[in-house]
Amino acid sequence: MAATDQFDAIVIGSGVSGGWAAKELTEKGLRVLMLDRGVMVEHGEDYTYDGKAPFEIPARDMMPKGLVESDYFIAKHGYISPGNQKFYNNDRLNPYAYDEGEKFYWIRPGAVGGKSLIWGRWSFRWSPEDFEANKRENVGIDWPIRYDDLAPWYSYVEKYAGVSGSRENLPQLPDSEFQPPMPMNIAEKWVKERLEATSPGRKLIHTRLSNMTEDKPEQGRSKCQFRSQCGRGCSFGAYFSTQAVTLPAARATGRLTLRSDAVVSNLEYDPKSKRVTGVRVVDTKTNQAEVIPARLVFLCASAMASTQILMNSRSDGSGRSHFNTSGTLGRYVMDHIFRVGVSGEIPGMTEYIEYGRRPGGVYIPRFRNVGGEEGVGFRRGYGYQGSARRDPAPPQGFGAAMKQGMRQYGPWKFGMGAFGECLPYEDNHVSLHPDKVDRFGIPLMRFDVTFRDNEIRMMDDALVEGEKMLKAAGLTNVTSGRSEHVPGDAIHEMGGARMGADPRQSVLNKWSQAHDAPNLFVTDGAQMASVSCVNPSLTFMALTARAADHAVKQLKAGTI
Amino acid sequence: MIDRRTALAGIVTMFGATLFAPIARAASAQATPINDGPPSVGVFTAEQRALVTALSDRVIPTTDTPGAVAAGVPYFMEKLLADWALPEDKAPILAGLEAIEARSQKDYGAAAAAATPEQQDTLLTLAMNDQLPGGADFFDKFRQLVITGYYTSEIGITQEREYLPVPGQYDGAFLYSNVNKVYSS
Repeated sequence: MAATDQFDAIVIGSGVSGGWAAKELTEKGLRVLMLDRGVMVEHGEDYTYDGKAPFEIPARDMMPKGLVESDYFIAKHGYISPGNQKFYNNDRLNPYAYDEGEKFYWIRPGAVGGKSLIWGRWSFRWSPEDFEANKRENVGIDWPIRYDDLAPWYSYVEKYAGVSGSRENLPQLPDSEFQPPMPMNIAEKWVKERLEATSPGRKLIHTRLSNMTEDKPEQGRSKCQFRSQCGRGCSFGAYFSTQAVTLPAARATGRLTLRSDAVVSNLEYDPKSKRVTGVRVVDTKTNQAEVIPARLVFLCASAMASTQILMNSRSDGSGRSHFNTSGTLGRYVMDHIFRVGVSGEIPGMTEYIEYGRRPGGVYIPRFRNVGGEEGVGFRRGYGYQGSARRDPAPPQGFGAAMKQGMRQYGPWKFGMGAFGECLPYEDNHVSLHPDKVDRFGIPLMRFDVTFRDNEIRMMDDALVEGEKMLKAAGLTNVTSGRSEHVPGDAIHEMGGARMGADPRQSVLNKWSQAHDAPNLFVTDGAQMASVSCVNPSLTFMALTARAADHAVKQLKAGTI
Repeated sequence: MIDRRTALAGIVTMFGATLFAPIARAASAQATPINDGPPSVGVFTAEQRALVTALSDRVIPTTDTPGAVAAGVPYFMEKLLADWALPEDKAPILAGLEAIEARSQKDYGAAAAAATPEQQDTLLTLAMNDQLPGGADFFDKFRQLVITGYYTSEIGITQEREYLPVPGQYDGAFLYSNVNKVYSS
């Protein structure tokens, strides 16, 4: 069998988007090769520290400082610990670049499953407003799709993935197909009641989480066991990951080939036929490179890595990517802005504690500029993610009295952090480093991305409003603060290959399909034309399933 | 990821403003493993080790549950300073031990490790109240090491505190009086 006959499609990346692409394409009958640059991690058996207590984990699950400085100096911003270390990228071995004063945290996974193993799992639909604001405000480019285009695909992925949450009927945060929400604790209910009474129009709701509260026996997955050790991998399959959800489905078709330790440097392209003809892969263990012929490619390597692969796909001697006819490739890079926190104490209820360790928490949906500009000094808005909890009483002195004192809990505390929308700016861009390459010969990514006045003013407001709301609700010792806002820090980096109706102004069309190559689809965060203020992964899932459906229809119709 | 992030945001943890070298030096093509064996370098002299052991047990003594020494805290502390901390983290600990030893020789004419528990408590209190050179800095860091080592040990997690490997359910209004302990995270 010729190599060209081996696979009908190649999926690059096996994270949230890649996993969905592999599942959908194989289930529709295609023979798929899925590539990932990371190491192999099999569901269950490779979750080395699943179910282990801290004393059973190297270094008591605390990252050695020297190792952080040498190898994980970026990953440290992404909640790495020895218990999940093998899911993370080694920053020393996989460098990138930025100019001094323009810091960017490119926090990357390093295993099959990508960020689906280590993500926060907060899962929200984007709203009609999110897809319309660019046009109304004449910012960036108009989305070529609207909420209604995506709504059935949200339903489709939610039903399969399993999303817990509560129906709220909020225009700025459409409801999903929910499993029952995770319960609020007694202190969160207290905050909800008082905050909603004292800040009319604002809501504090259950989070929406890709952790299940009902079993899915047909997928061999159990509901959440309230261990809150999700980042080490969950053998119960209680949260959405490639390993637990999409990979088993794709494998069940018998049409999936999965190859780990395979980094893609670029796509091969035939300018005459305007098609991608192959994927150039480097084996990360042997450094051997090969070109695998491709009929259909789903590029799902993560927003920035997909953009890097697209930029590095260029003719010999020419700096210009085959996929950059529009000149917009690598531009309009965004991340959510955060690092504004507000917290306070909740009086009373000290006879109660939490039993079980609940992932997630509560959410205050966006309330600024909902349904039109309010003249608050910035566009768009932000939401807060938070939770209430009691920590052990802090140590006082030493000896038996201290030990006894630490058997008590301190007061209930409520803390929340704001996540705000970043506007798309043409000059927030990434490029290939002119002369530095990595160990595989791939030019380094170079980031030139900064937050601007709109984002900073939004965070100013989030600080003030958060403090006001908690004080009005009756919390005591309310404090707020912010730390450095570094793009990439929210790990919601998006853009770089935006979709749009006009091929002269966008890289992808409304089907996540490259204007310059109809057999190329980019269905991860790279395609986003704006970023909402809510977490994006659920939207990547929906867009990927939709794109796969379209691709297979076109393939069957012989148009690609 | 988000749970820790939310917690961090809530208490407004500030990251240092250190500017990281954007391009790392790829000295070796292999990832550096975590050293989880015995301390790779000796941090304490035999005398210091004896003193660390004695003081650890004064910070968290055996009561109705085992104390710091039973939980292996002195070993943990040496391991942490040898392999998990940075070299400069050792200095305030070693300086504090030296100051306590000097004071013990002066006041009691004996090595601090051999002093009575009451005398050791007095020495620790002097450090806590910053009445020894570098005392308060030593006390804060030493106590933090003992607490960290103890409450992440098997004894700390499963005996002193209550550990639920698989809670199976969540109750956000559970009576403390049902357990009268802190749940390990």
